[in-house]
Amino acid sequence: MNNEIWVFVQLNGQNVEPTSLQLITKARDIAGDRPVVALVAETESMNVEATVKEYGPDKMVILKDDQFHNASDGEIADALDQVVTDLKPNSLLFPATVLGRSVAPRLQAKLKTGLTADCLDIYFDGDDLVQVKPTYGDDIMCEIICPDVRPQMATIRPNTFKAVKAATDTETVNYSFTFHPEANIEVVSETPVINSAANISDAKTVIALGRGANNEKVIAKAEKLAGKLGGMVGVSRPLTDNEGFSHENQIGQSGNTIAPDLLINFGISGAVQYAVGIENAKQIVSINTDAKAPIFDKSDYAFVGDADEFMSALLDQVR
Amino acid sequence: MKIVVCIKQVPNTDTVKIDPKTNNLVRSNVEGIINSFDRNAIEAALELRQQAGGTITLLSMGPDSYITSLRDGLAMGADSAILLSSRKFGGADTLATAYVLSEAIKKIGDVDLILFGRQSVDADTGQVGPIVAEDLQLPQVTFAESLELQDNNQLTGHRLLDNVVQEVKVKLPAVITVRSEMNSPRYETPLNIQKSFEKEITIWSENELAVDPTQIGQAGSPTVVKRIFSPEKAGRQTQMLPNNAKDAVAQLLADLNN
Amino acid sequence: MTNDKTAEQNMLHRMIVDFTTNELAPLDMKIDQLGDYPDGLFQKVIDNGLLGMTLPRQYGGAGFDYVATAQAINAMAFGNASMAVTLEGHFKTLEQLLKYGQPELLEKYLPTATKRIFAFSQTESSGGSNPKGISTRAVKQGDNWVITGDKIMITNGGLAQVYCVLAKTEDDQMAVFLVDQDMPGFSFGKREDFIGLRGTPVGEIVMDHIKVPGYHLLGSIGQGLEIGNNAHDDARVLMGAVLAGIMQHELKIAVDYAKQRKALDTPLYELQTIQEKITDIAIAKQNTELLYQHGAELKVAGEPYSKVAAMAKSYGSRSAVSSGDKALQVLAGYGYSREYPIEHLIRDARAMEIAEGTVEKMNTEISLKEVNK
Repeated sequence: MNNEIWVFVQLNGQNVEPTSLQLITKARDIAGDRPVVALVAETESMNVEATVKEYGPDKMVILKDDQFHNASDGEIADALDQVVTDLKPNSLLFPATVLGRSVAPRLQAKLKTGLTADCLDIYFDGDDLVQVKPTYGDDIMCEIICPDVRPQMATIRPNTFKAVKAATDTETVNYSFTFHPEANIEVVSETPVINSAANISDAKTVIALGRGANNEKVIAKAEKLAGKLGGMVGVSRPLTDNEGFSHENQIGQSGNTIAPDLLINFGISGAVQYAVGIENAKQIVSINTDAKAPIFDKSDYAFVGDADEFMSALLDQVR
Repeated sequence: MKIVVCIKQVPNTDTVKIDPKTNNLVRSNVEGIINSFDRNAIEAALELRQQAGGTITLLSMGPDSYITSLRDGLAMGADSAILLSSRKFGGADTLATAYVLSEAIKKIGDVDLILFGRQSVDADTGQVGPIVAEDLQLPQVTFAESLELQDNNQLTGHRLLDNVVQEVKVKLPAVITVRSEMNSPRYETPLNIQKSFEKEITIWSENELAVDPTQIGQAGSPTVVKRIFSPEKAGRQTQMLPNNAKDAVAQLLADLNN
Repeated sequence: MTNDKTAEQNMLHRMIVDFTTNELAPLDMKIDQLGDYPDGLFQKVIDNGLLGMTLPRQYGGAGFDYVATAQAINAMAFGNASMAVTLEGHFKTLEQLLKYGQPELLEKYLPTATKRIFAFSQTESSGGSNPKGISTRAVKQGDNWVITGDKIMITNGGLAQVYCVLAKTEDDQMAVFLVDQDMPGFSFGKREDFIGLRGTPVGEIVMDHIKVPGYHLLGSIGQGLEIGNNAHDDARVLMGAVLAGIMQHELKIAVDYAKQRKALDTPLYELQTIQEKITDIAIAKQNTELLYQHGAELKVAGEPYSKVAAMAKSYGSRSAVSSGDKALQVLAGYGYSREYPIEHLIRDARAMEIAEGTVEKMNTEISLKEVNK
């Protein structure tokens, strides 16, 4: 047993999944004198070490095998089991992505240890990794520890922490292991998806337009922006009278309740009837010419100014 | 096809409160219902049974009150139900829960397909399915949004990963966890509700299973709940963006991308 | 009386809540605007076995009693009162068949009642629910009866396929017969354009010498009025449940709004005038619940329930109209807007001050029962 904190680095195609980098930063923040180790499983031709290194892990443990391309959860868990059983980290963190939440419990079962899902915070209390996770929605939090078994495992919700680059001398270990193919399962293909929803209640990104953005030019740009962001256009009550919008697009008490990851409000004042429909949005950005508009109290980001100008700037800068 | 659907009973509420004196969750008076994702798993099983024939057994571990949701699953159309219930199973975390479920599945025998909802809506772990797959040494397809029967011993599923859809072929027996996107669960009809009360629910304790006493309940659970608390509901901290639209957007995108 | 529900009742209630939440409530406003059920909606009601809720198991139904059924109707009315009243009309008719129908008739018709709506019709253009003015005639021809007449304002008229009709025999005795839309001489007349419960079809049937076998007679000749009154009683229990559901909806709208809206800096719900309105609605809702549940329990127990049934509908309908008015006032301008459902809840509730006996008629019945104790 050592005192290392390991972070599983998830790859999406050729890229590093951002949560993994966020976890390296978080691990460094709570580590004290514990070394932070990035655990990478990649194909021979891939080389994400340079990217991972920028975030300052003390060590990288690299597993290389071409069969990691389209590997099954069971195959990944088997490979990780070999290195974890051998090198015995103190703690092991996964992104709470679909992949992380699928591989980590299989590994947990092999290691017969604890695993806490979807944590919003972690910290050390002595040698115990205290894992803070929501339960029953996000209204109640639990602190969970795994006092007697190591490694202490957790999956951590994406975008909970910020990734910060850090310069460190990173040691690289190429770990040799045996890839054991799983006989009864085959990943046939992977197809990228653009997040699109048919219904505004399910949309991940919503561009919302209100009385202050009620002109054809802005509406046309909003549609374009929604297309670029893979989102949908919603409206407050006054715009439901416009041709092209209806009750289906309406946000608010007498319309739809939405819960997107990102909501951008253009020209919406933020009356109570509207505000109740957006309470569950994760990030809210609001643009209004009136600095005293109530919508700003409900927003994470506020821009006092012209809707059209801001929209144009967004269209320019969003790739 | 012999299908087992593992279900969990959860409180029928989004607002569970903490008792300020005992610091425990107040769960009494809240009726129990089937975890919503598990209804999707039951629906998937019903559709597969329609295509391939066979039987559907519901399996759940919990106190006797869990009979409510097992009964509900029977009313949806499952053939039989087994409740794993014993004081000794109490206080189990995901590892110990999955262990007992796995032992019960072994006892049921010759199971072709084990279905779970993608996760429970209360504890939200989604771990029990993969642990059962590992315990039984079976392939898994988690977070499946579609499932098609190829022939009687092979399924094709699509899993929605974070930004890719993965197509997976899996030979039976296998473990599948089901997303709500896969289907719309059917309603129990009034007649099927009545009929469900004519079906027996089997109860197994540790005496009926070949379980290692050190791996069940609290003894078999490596994790411990240290503290439960209600977080302060923080209002949104509003950050003002620069007055110039270009700079404002640049700053916003930089922040959001982090 | 007790509020303990059996496990079966609980599951039925939850199923109806789910069905209502997913299938009916989202269409509540649309049903009112459309003045009909959208395509496919009624088929979902059939496909999910809701028409067979009360029907005994031997006929392919679920055999739930009136207590469970009334609670289910109540849960449905919270999401959409029209569909709840459509089911009420069907269930009250089946009750009369089960109580008065001859075995041959039940064997032939009841197995179809899980897929087809059955309706009960008394009213004619010559006068409301008053049976004295009935001009529909039943003439005996050998073993058969020949029915001729025109019935209007039938709940589910046009949607229903089987009708129990009140008719007069040649010797001026009242009797109820079952006719089927497939019989020669049967046709549909016009649908009413009512201001409330706009999803529930209310229409006319025309019977031109429809020949029915003798066993299509319910009860015996001369029992027609009794059956009609019994149908009223069974309808009124369920309408009490519908009205309590409407009031629950009114209450929710008023409470939600009072919690969100501020008058200057004071939340609306802290104002005494608002609290009074919310309290009045809540008490009226609770009273109506107690009345309809008590009526259903008395019926299941085989006790007289006519008076309590009339109370549930008389009190419930007047309360639901006035509660709607109070809820409207809480929301002020928004309440007066067609964009919020309150105005249609008031129109829906208003129907039940008239249907199945006007408030005035029921109040006469109730007071006479008190006077003649």
